[in-house]
Amino acid sequence: MTLYNSKFEKAIERIKQEQAKTVCIQLPDGMKPQAKEIEEAITKETGARVLIWLGSNFGACDVPLGLDRLGVDLLISWGHNKFHKLEGW
Amino acid sequence: MKVLFLDAPYTGTVELCQDTLEYLKDKKIKNLGLYASVQFCNNLANVKMQLKELDINIISSQPKRTGVQHQLLGCDNYHDSLNLDAEWLAQIDAFLYIGDGKFHPLALAYGQEKEIICNDPIGKQFSVMTKKDIEQIKKKQKGAFLKFLSSKNVGVIVTIKPGQEQFKTGLLLEKKYPDKKFYYFVDNTISFDQLENFPFIEVWVNTACPRIGLDDQEQFRSGVINLKDALNRDEFLG
Repeated sequence: MTLYNSKFEKAIERIKQEQAKTVCIQLPDGMKPQAKEIEEAITKETGARVLIWLGSNFGACDVPLGLDRLGVDLLISWGHNKFHKLEGW
Repeated sequence: MKVLFLDAPYTGTVELCQDTLEYLKDKKIKNLGLYASVQFCNNLANVKMQLKELDINIISSQPKRTGVQHQLLGCDNYHDSLNLDAEWLAQIDAFLYIGDGKFHPLALAYGQEKEIICNDPIGKQFSVMTKKDIEQIKKKQKGAFLKFLSSKNVGVIVTIKPGQEQFKTGLLLEKKYPDKKFYYFVDNTISFDQLENFPFIEVWVNTACPRIGLDDQEQFRSGVINLKDALNRDEFLG
């Protein structure tokens, strides 16, 4: 969170707005070492349970599947903006 | 489940380092295609000013899958990916990529004919990428394509990642190549270690991220081609 503006406040605002109880954070490789600080800060600010996505974060095209089964209300995918999918590339 | 994307913009100074500036001057570049990864896209004012001082025109666009002007994605690796008119594209002397790593500028190397000048604002480093950097990959790609044309049993890889899934388009292969038998394999992130468990597959067609058919060729012992190339055979064989 030193080199990049993590937009952390925006994340907190959205968690509160959604009244999300369980949040999953998906971080780019460069931010993964900061998962501890992010997890602790979100928990402290919102009280939400935070799950950390272990797997890949290739881009906004790579949203994790199956999180609904764990009761995740909100996925916060860091490092990318919205992806506009095209059929057939 | 709702999804929030946070693009985490770089907060440091984004500017061209001395080596980049000297290279641009030496090469007498007049028209530069300017692209960046999303972390740097909204912070290019200094770079633009530096280019203006060198009397260099900027040509750029917002590629269709992206959210902002100048943004480059790794999957923008085809000649038509940049959403830029052919006339403008032809005027570009070289591309300038702002960002770190090789993943994004390689997309330009795969898809475009011009040299790619890379300026990493974090490491303050300059490098140049040319066709030579991808020569081996291109050769393998051609080889795999020829193998595909002569193969009967073809494995089609389909991802369930919503942003990358192209199953419907993948089915078009059956119409295009009625003499081949296509077997469809479904996965999330591609399990390269499982490919060898299907020895009846002579060659693979990748319908997930198009970079898999390029960067990960070594993972496919039987060879792999991308869906777009298979569906545009004549264009690919040029």
